[in-house]
Amino acid sequence: MDNAGKTTILKKFNGEEIDTISPTLGFNIKTLEHRDFKLNIWDVGGQKSLRSYWRNYFESTDGLIWVVDSADHPRLEDCRRELQSLLVEERLAGATLLIFANKQDLPGALTATAIQEALDLDSIQSHHWCIQGCSAYTGENLLAGIDWLLDDISSRVFTAE
Amino acid sequence: MEAIEEENFAVSISSPSDAEFDAVVGYLEDIIMDDDFQLIQRNFMDKYYQEFDDTEENKLIYTPIFNEYICLVEKYIEEKLLDRIPGFSMSAFTLSLQQHKDEIAGDIFDMLLTFTDFLAFKEMFLDYRAEKEGRGLDLSGGLVVTPLSRPPVPPAPNILRR
Repeated sequence: MDNAGKTTILKKFNGEEIDTISPTLGFNIKTLEHRDFKLNIWDVGGQKSLRSYWRNYFESTDGLIWVVDSADHPRLEDCRRELQSLLVEERLAGATLLIFANKQDLPGALTATAIQEALDLDSIQSHHWCIQGCSAYTGENLLAGIDWLLDDISSRVFTAE
Repeated sequence: MEAIEEENFAVSISSPSDAEFDAVVGYLEDIIMDDDFQLIQRNFMDKYYQEFDDTEENKLIYTPIFNEYICLVEKYIEEKLLDRIPGFSMSAFTLSLQQHKDEIAGDIFDMLLTFTDFLAFKEMFLDYRAEKEGRGLDLSGGLVVTPLSRPPVPPAPNILRR
């Protein structure tokens, strides 16, 4: 959802400046090379008016990264509902789900465990998932999350082949 | 890996699928260079080039335009190829494209890339727009007339001072 930090995470990964990021109205694409993998990351704006466009970007998705503003307590219920509605999407059925509990550098941020509970992640049976507390601002744990995502996708893809 | 592939090239072993791939690329070159195709592509770009801005963030409208382009161009090319190769499958061909990318002439490959790669597609539109608006070749700097001696600047009238 909006203001969660998706674009900031993407730019931080890419080694770009993160102090002048404005709300994403369209979408960003970055190709990252990590551990001999080529990651095509599509970052789609999270505002309410844009969410109906998300479905245009589901095709050929191996992994879904759901970014949560861990300090935005009032919208966690909203966040849970939006995530659950994505998980029933047929074209995302095989996708690995990584949840970034972002903004851990903020004093009011909930822990990853608390976010896990608030989003009712334990009820998810349909997807491989993992939650990772992180800070896009400091870069903390971003790589750990991506490493897990890559491990899960590659084990799935290479076993299938 | 590298060494084995080189050895294969040296004795020029080519599997039936390689020969098939080469044949398709040959036909594709003909189709893409043909005036009919150039016209279809130009008409498409004329219709939409003003939507494309040279900014890093992509507008949502690019996505339906991209999908329309793929439909249009892929359908055209697939039909033309089917005339020449019965049973041709475009999706199988685009899959093998990545593996053979070093073997295809640059401009043909760039064109083929726009069918699968969104960023290559966007680049094509930005180039077209720059060309259309005369930004491809900037000659404006050559047209500035600079006087050899400047007339003295008149003092600003007091009335404009606040």
